[in-house]
Amino acid sequence: MAWLFRQTGLSPLISAAIGLAAGLGGTLVFMLPLNFCTFEAERPTLDLIFGLLLIGVGLALTLSAAAWLVRWWRGRGQSQPAAASSQPGAFRGKIMPWLLLAPTLIILALFLYYPSLDTFSLSTQLARLGARRSAFVCVDNFTRLVTDQSYLNSLALTLVMSAAIVMIGLVLSLLVALAAYQPVKGARVYRTLLIWPYAISPAVAGVIFLLLFNPVGGIINYLLNGVGLPSVPWLNNPAYAPWAVILASVWKSMGFNILFYIAGLQNVPKDLQEAAAIDGANAVQRFRHVVLPLLSPITFFLIITNMTYAFFETFGTIDYLTAGGPLSSTTTLMYRIYYIGIQNNDLGKAAAQSIILFVMVIGLTVLQFRSTGRRVTYGA
Amino acid sequence: MEHERTAAAPARQHIQEQSRMAAARALPAWVPQRWYVHIILWAACLLIGFPLFYAILVSTQNNAQVYSYQFTPGLSFADNWNIVMVNRSLGSYMLNSVFVAVAVTVGKTALSLLAGLAFVYFRFPGKWLLFGFVLITLMMPTEILIIALFRFINSLGWGNTYVALIVPFLASATGTFLFRQHFANIPAELSEAAQLDGATPLQFLIRVLIPISWNTIGALAVIQFVYMWNMYIWPVLIIQGQERQVVQVGLRTLMGGDSALVFGPMMMGAVIASLPPVVVFVLLQKQFMSGFQLSRDK
Amino acid sequence: MRKMLVFYLALVIALLAVVPAFAQEPTEVKVWIAFTDNRLDWANQKAAAFNEKFPQYNVVIEGYKSYEELFAATALAAEQGAIPAVVQYFEAATQVARDSGYFKPIAEALGDRTEVNGIPVNFDDFIGPVSAYYTLDGLWTSMPWNTSSAIMFSNQNILDAAGVEAIPATWAEMEAACEKIMAMEGAPEYCFTFPNHGWFFEQWLAQQNATYANNDNGRAARATELTFSGDAGVNILAWLDDMASKGYLYYSGAQGGASWSTVDQSFLSQQTAMAMYSSSDTAIYTNTGRENGFEVVASFLPYNDETGWTGNLIGGASLWLADGLSPEVEDGALTFLLWLTNTENAAEWHQVTGYIAIRESSIELLNTEGWYDAIEANGGSELWAKDPAVQASKGKAWYAENPNFIVAADQLARSTITPATQGVILGAFPAIRNVVTGAIDTVLLTDEDPAAVLTKAAADAGVILEEYNLISAP
Repeated sequence: MAWLFRQTGLSPLISAAIGLAAGLGGTLVFMLPLNFCTFEAERPTLDLIFGLLLIGVGLALTLSAAAWLVRWWRGRGQSQPAAASSQPGAFRGKIMPWLLLAPTLIILALFLYYPSLDTFSLSTQLARLGARRSAFVCVDNFTRLVTDQSYLNSLALTLVMSAAIVMIGLVLSLLVALAAYQPVKGARVYRTLLIWPYAISPAVAGVIFLLLFNPVGGIINYLLNGVGLPSVPWLNNPAYAPWAVILASVWKSMGFNILFYIAGLQNVPKDLQEAAAIDGANAVQRFRHVVLPLLSPITFFLIITNMTYAFFETFGTIDYLTAGGPLSSTTTLMYRIYYIGIQNNDLGKAAAQSIILFVMVIGLTVLQFRSTGRRVTYGA
Repeated sequence: MEHERTAAAPARQHIQEQSRMAAARALPAWVPQRWYVHIILWAACLLIGFPLFYAILVSTQNNAQVYSYQFTPGLSFADNWNIVMVNRSLGSYMLNSVFVAVAVTVGKTALSLLAGLAFVYFRFPGKWLLFGFVLITLMMPTEILIIALFRFINSLGWGNTYVALIVPFLASATGTFLFRQHFANIPAELSEAAQLDGATPLQFLIRVLIPISWNTIGALAVIQFVYMWNMYIWPVLIIQGQERQVVQVGLRTLMGGDSALVFGPMMMGAVIASLPPVVVFVLLQKQFMSGFQLSRDK
Repeated sequence: MRKMLVFYLALVIALLAVVPAFAQEPTEVKVWIAFTDNRLDWANQKAAAFNEKFPQYNVVIEGYKSYEELFAATALAAEQGAIPAVVQYFEAATQVARDSGYFKPIAEALGDRTEVNGIPVNFDDFIGPVSAYYTLDGLWTSMPWNTSSAIMFSNQNILDAAGVEAIPATWAEMEAACEKIMAMEGAPEYCFTFPNHGWFFEQWLAQQNATYANNDNGRAARATELTFSGDAGVNILAWLDDMASKGYLYYSGAQGGASWSTVDQSFLSQQTAMAMYSSSDTAIYTNTGRENGFEVVASFLPYNDETGWTGNLIGGASLWLADGLSPEVEDGALTFLLWLTNTENAAEWHQVTGYIAIRESSIELLNTEGWYDAIEANGGSELWAKDPAVQASKGKAWYAENPNFIVAADQLARSTITPATQGVILGAFPAIRNVVTGAIDTVLLTDEDPAAVLTKAAADAGVILEEYNLISAP
């Protein structure tokens, strides 16, 4: 622990005190609400391991928070005046900024922070919609998932589907953008005709693709047959149904990707390309070694937004297109939360699964911040 | 930002002219410049447009025509319209969606402007902590919280009201962040001059900041309008009955759960439900691009 | 600063303005039903007629996509304290409906009254299977409306072409018929299909006189254990597996509502020769066949030859009355329920859909030649008046002209009443039924052993039931 505080230059005694407080806090942050239930004698080993894991996470959280606070405290002397002086033209007023921020802060606290905490509490309950009572079940809602094959399938499906949506979507979008960013006649019209699906909703994408992929009267199979290919059981075969969702999602999100790639390509300095051309690099080489690296911040941003899209927004598409089937082959983690929590009325289990998804999103966001620094723009 | 763009424009134009001239030299006059690019773009537009185009076509057909793969408009437009707008009253869902999406777009833009103002033009203790508090909510998609949010909204007595569709979405990290970035890039002289004139912060916001921020406001408005219009799972949970339901969920009434799908009305509903966001997006496309500083990110 | 306050004040006022003001004069009676097709249109037309007849009430019908969706929506609405006056719950929700406390038994709401607003209360008139099903603990609990049973529709033209002499009545006969049909020239893509829904499993279980859960299918006491994974259950999955692997059975697709649509589409476009379905769509099936030049014949749901036929279950849904309504709304709801299920309306509903005619008097009426005038006098709906079968049979005895329409009622009437054929009453049944539907999915789509799949399904469903009983039982 000491290494965390070494660079802060605090006295060992204070470090130790802060470390102890943080350690205690870390242990208690999850265990106090759970009342140490994972360590009760009759609990299975899995719960014990899970409990230890929770303590570990809690420790990591509080220790890093403590380290950050200490560093902030020490660094306050230098950074604060700098921040202040970088703000010429600031208005005076002590209450005014709070008044300005109050609505935003209150809404975020009430409708995002509070429900997040409530989700944690709900996840330890056996709770059903419309039930008379609820019961505390410790971490059962979590540990049961480890052996729940259908949950693990959903997890794998979500990851594979997200990867496919990201990869297919980005490659196709970049190819289209390579043509669309060129200053040809009517470029504006082309662009508009390429990017409008951004405004289509995932639900509508599901409705439209239900027509295109329908086993009876589906136009895609008709066209496939037209060119001599066999019909594909898009919606009633677990091997193909995920692809129906993936294709619908790629279609719907391509507009957004193309838009960003066009902008990115327009910003690749022409002189750089020309220099490379003079050096004798051909088009493919120029693309690989000059353009692609310059696009990587946008690509990374798009990977994250597309992942988020695949995790959450595909819900509407799935609900209209396949309703999670067949054989749960399109039941993503998000669809599962709805299916378990709402259709099957099992709120506690749905809350636990929400938290796992939550952790995945946190991971994704941290990755985003790490890699792109603070210069990212967000799509809703 | 404006400076850079105007400076870049002539250079781009120059390149455009050069390439145009080069293409003109190599090809006969009737071939559009860079004909292969046109072909690729045509193909891409057709491919991307096909699902919607076919949906529009089917919205005029009955099932028999759909099953026989007719590529000409059918005669069932009026019948389908009757089912969609009269029998299933999609219009009332549309009005609800318009109301909710506009309310959130306006409200969120207003609150984000205020928050951006506070973060950029004020010094107060705990500012970074508060900014962190706002920024962290990027990690909390509403979708994950819906069950707890549902319980909380109901405990407030807001279940099944427009308020439940609007208020939780009025604040956003995206908007606050966007305006903070934007304001931070505005020269400090502007606010200093405003203070010399004795302007209050709100006067400064309304008279100075907003008039030079229309691109950013437009970009946020597009995103929020589309986001709210397309919202699906939350209204499924919180709104019951059709009085206040939004159109994305209203489309369910065109689906016929346990009887044969009737594609004409389904597609007509899908097309109608897509019109407002597509129109808003296409109209505000320019603001969207420049508001996100997409042409500046070098 | 003052401007800020004004700003917030304006914001608050704007938000308050959002809440619409209700200033309607007639008492509003909200009714949620699980239909979004012509059945919703019919209900809307009936509500309009009712509102005209009883101007003091305004019945508003709202349609949901499926029973499952309406069930979830009602649970969500209940959390908001916003349950409508009347909800249509499917049979799987019966136990949940009783445990939830959302509803009031119809008999309790009626008390000793023999009529409400001039509409007589006449429960003795309901046919036997219906009153047996909807009377719980000796009390009329919900109002029967759309009662069905699982039957089979055959494309007689295909059967004739294949030389199948009689419509198959058993599983073995199905297989024999399929062999002929699939072997002929110009064979359809598949021999038969059924909506992949746990309800059919329940039907086949009842036919074999096997129960779904303990305590006499939950009728003697609350069901605490599931019994469906015995031999009878395994027989069903093994047979389906066999039929699918031989290429006879068309797998109708996604878990959830879509499979019903798939069956409709494949049978009505003549891609399959036979479809097991709910009698709810008898009208659509028969009429579509007539319009497209093929004859549709309804018959009993084929059964397992080895275990014999005991009987079939009631299906469909009934109308539940919300508890805690104001007396005016409750009376309005009762009036509507009694009127909607009166002799003529029950007959009309039966004719436009295929749901069983739930009143003895309705069946009697339809057996006379004057049914058309009687229904018209009662205010026959536009949908009914336009129905081709109704028009074609005008002035003739209905059932003689339309034999398909009596099959479901016949099947129920001939059933021996046992705990198995009365159907299961079970907590968390919608969720448990989903597990069974998933088991059928698994058997049809993978190589897994039917017995093992069913055992696992029973275990998974058992946990759901146990948890339900733990926190939901009063």
